[in-house]
Amino acid sequence: MIKESYKQKSENELLKASLDGDKQAFGEIVTRYQNMVARTVKSMLGDSVFSEDIGQDVFIKLFYSLSEFRGEAKLSTYIQKIAVNLTLNEIKRRKRFFSTFSQKGNNEMYEFEVADYETEEKKEASELVGKALGSLDPKFRIIVAMRMLQGYSTKETAEILDLPLGTVLSRLSRAQEQMKNILRKL
Amino acid sequence: MKNSDLKELLIRSLDKESDPEKASGKIEEAGVSYRFKEGFRDRVLDRIYSAGDTVVREIEFVRSLNSVFYRIALTGVAAIVLLLISIFIVQGSLSFDSFLGLGNGNDESILCLLTGN
Repeated sequence: MIKESYKQKSENELLKASLDGDKQAFGEIVTRYQNMVARTVKSMLGDSVFSEDIGQDVFIKLFYSLSEFRGEAKLSTYIQKIAVNLTLNEIKRRKRFFSTFSQKGNNEMYEFEVADYETEEKKEASELVGKALGSLDPKFRIIVAMRMLQGYSTKETAEILDLPLGTVLSRLSRAQEQMKNILRKL
Repeated sequence: MKNSDLKELLIRSLDKESDPEKASGKIEEAGVSYRFKEGFRDRVLDRIYSAGDTVVREIEFVRSLNSVFYRIALTGVAAIVLLLISIFIVQGSLSFDSFLGLGNGNDESILCLLTGN
């Protein structure tokens, strides 16, 4: 159980305590950002056990790079960057794997399992979004995930993805076109 | 939310003029949410600390290695500078011969030195 006092602590206090080896402080960081990481990883890779592994890797990488975090960017941006990099690496790895060992197309890299939802309506909504995201090209999918699911502005998306603002804007409009076509068929 | 409404919302959320925060909130309200299974935090902490103190010690070792490297490098640079200064003072120049200690020597004195005569 996380002590109540950790919930009150600021990001800087938690970071400092984590660096000093405080396990609970790092646990609080995980608690605060796990849903944000889940949105990025699961929207990109699909909802499967492998997504959770990547999610765990994000925090493990964060743990090992805590001393390198200078506080120039927000901690959420820093974590988001790690999540995006690990997710894109996993997509590349899967692409290599499927091109070597399988005849399957890109869409089958996106695994989609519908978990238990409170209502049938919510389950259908998740299914629809999952199928739509799975059909998108990964370079558009990441833009859609940042914008549609994380609620980031174009500027924030550009910062996280290390892309020029113009590239993000053009990819956003192309992603919207792709999305329209995909949703029309669903 | 109806499927058609959700589709419309998804497309509109990608409009350049739309408010992304508001749109993502509405999409989440419609039931589109991504969560890791319960106990995610504990699983992450277990993976990090499962090797117990070994992992922490490893990190501390790498950190201390970094700081030790800088200390050694600084000491080394300081020693080289001191050596250069002393060579300059003793030999009067910083030529290759003075580095080898041959600045003021000649062939005969080297021969004497080598043969002992």
